[in-house]
Amino acid sequence: MMQREILIVGVNHRSAPVEVREKVAINNGALDASLQRLLAVASIEEGVILSTCNRVEVIAASTDGDHAVEALTDFLAIDEHVPRDHLAQHLSVYRGREAVRHLFRVAASLDSMVVGEPQILGQLKHLYNRAATVGTAGTVLHRCFHKAFSVAKRVRTETGVASKAVSVSSAAVELASKIFDRLEDKTAMLIGAGTMSELAARHLMAHGVHNILVTNRTFDRAIELARDFRGTPVPFEEFRSYLHMADVIIGSTGADGHLLTPAVIQEVLRQRKFRPVFLIDMSVPRNFDPRINDIDNVYLYDIDDLGGVASENLDERTREAEKAETIVEEEIDTFWRWVTSLEAVPTIVALRDKIESIRKAELDKTLASFPALTTEQRLALDAMTSAIVNKILHAPITHLKQQDRHDEALYLAAARKLFDIEQSEDS
Amino acid sequence: MSNLLLSLALALYLLTTATFMAQVMTGHDALRRIAHALLAAAFGAHATSLALQAAAEGYEVFATFQDELSFIACIMVGLYLVLAWRANMSVVGALVTPLAFLFSLSAHAFDKAAPELPRQLQNVWLPAHVAPAVLGYAVFAIAFCLSLIYLLQERQLKAKRKGGLFRRLPSLETLDELNYRFVTWGFALFTIGLITGSLLAKETWGELWSWEPVQVLSLITWLLYAGLLHARTVGWRGRKAATFTILGFVVVVVTFLSVNLIFPGKHGGSFG
Repeated sequence: MMQREILIVGVNHRSAPVEVREKVAINNGALDASLQRLLAVASIEEGVILSTCNRVEVIAASTDGDHAVEALTDFLAIDEHVPRDHLAQHLSVYRGREAVRHLFRVAASLDSMVVGEPQILGQLKHLYNRAATVGTAGTVLHRCFHKAFSVAKRVRTETGVASKAVSVSSAAVELASKIFDRLEDKTAMLIGAGTMSELAARHLMAHGVHNILVTNRTFDRAIELARDFRGTPVPFEEFRSYLHMADVIIGSTGADGHLLTPAVIQEVLRQRKFRPVFLIDMSVPRNFDPRINDIDNVYLYDIDDLGGVASENLDERTREAEKAETIVEEEIDTFWRWVTSLEAVPTIVALRDKIESIRKAELDKTLASFPALTTEQRLALDAMTSAIVNKILHAPITHLKQQDRHDEALYLAAARKLFDIEQSEDS
Repeated sequence: MSNLLLSLALALYLLTTATFMAQVMTGHDALRRIAHALLAAAFGAHATSLALQAAAEGYEVFATFQDELSFIACIMVGLYLVLAWRANMSVVGALVTPLAFLFSLSAHAFDKAAPELPRQLQNVWLPAHVAPAVLGYAVFAIAFCLSLIYLLQERQLKAKRKGGLFRRLPSLETLDELNYRFVTWGFALFTIGLITGSLLAKETWGELWSWEPVQVLSLITWLLYAGLLHARTVGWRGRKAATFTILGFVVVVVTFLSVNLIFPGKHGGSFG
């Protein structure tokens, strides 16, 4: 039997800029129709579409991988009319073990723009459920996704990837959405650089903030950061004259005194016609005068208010991420053992072995209790039991050998389960 | 029949209020859908009841302030349903529904021995005056609810409290924008009501303006809202605007009650 290969074709935040991602994005309303269309593609046996703001990827199971990659590229290109050549430049393709690794890493939030952010797992579950409802996820993908969910759970409980820093950023985004109706048309300003503040800015971007102004005492660093965020660098000496443009201001400089005072913010507010401002002070000692919070339409939160600790321990985060990657590798191994077991030959061999060992054991037991039997009688018993076993196994094995069935993987999995020859995943 | 439907609407308002309260406490989506279904049913019953009453009584339907209150309540609920259809506003519903219940209850419970509506009042200017005024009051009432929630949300944010209920309040920007829109519409309707009211006074008593208590208080209300809308253009938003909207509505309520209950004059109980 042909084995189904797992493959992932699509664009993500590392392979493609937002301009490309938004063109191929499949919105929630069109998802079911797209899934139907996906299944109609020749060479695709199963498929799930992941469409979030950071990625548009199709996870498929196919018996003809090479053809499927081409077909999926066409599928993504035609769907939203992106020139195929242009799309191909930004496409990332994962096959076999690599595809499994990618899905596990996505689920565990190791591939997120903000590593460890918790939303992705929920999105993944939702998109998988839609595919399951429409009927485009089959035996292989069901198993693969369920494994991915349990990997994500292990990573969350056993490592500190979803750490305080992430929860601080999530809190910042949550607060921003309590103040602002939508973040898409808002501007954020980053004063100074730091892991925590960069993370917060990334989080805001992941939730729709487009414009980012970056300022730093070292202008080169500001330029570098701005490039990273696709934002605009602002010279430190002039940042105050840009403040009125920012709806969210994040501070994290090493300055000792207060960079911003109530008087400065009052003036900024007047320039903004009193539109609300959300200030986040990520630095210790604090950069923004706490009295700023008393001004109407201004909300100032420092790191303690956001529920975080003032540590920007990058080493620790890297260590936790490494731990998570190890978990992913372990889980790929167990999953891979299951995938290879789906081939017909090993299943049939295992099935025969299992039944044969049962027959042998039972026969020996019987023969041992009748020592008086002649050799001829013993051989007759042996032949009879063999014949029974072969006759019983004949029909199931014939079915398992049939190659042109769509649900072959299902039959193989069922056979393994019924005869208890399942290679335990967790062994 | 009309009374029966009103009783049904009242019962449903009470039930909806309880459902909204439970929704706001627990955050269950299913409860919101139930609350909205119940409220839509209540609205249907209430509107039908009012329509039947209007068909039976003609101009008399505007004769008592209890009936006007009932109209206001019904319109408020209708406005809320439109609002809720666009955005997640359960918290607003948890305020609007009990308010609608109270308003309708007074229509139901008070002695309805209304004085005869004098013949000279029964002309086209009566509905032309009452309809926009009632609509305007309903719109102001919604703006009032939005403002209360704005202040609640604003206080939570300033005090840096993050809690259960807090998660379920709409954003400040949403509330402020809606408040602005509602006050603008309310003001436009109220202005129309004021003008047609004067024309009705001219038709009935021969003069546009006679310093009746209702006229004076209405003028104060009008000036308050006009001031608020003007202040918005120079950057009054958020907490100040919300506080002012609440103040404006308090004046509206005082006007409404005092005119009808305390010194009725020509406008209220004794039309002489």
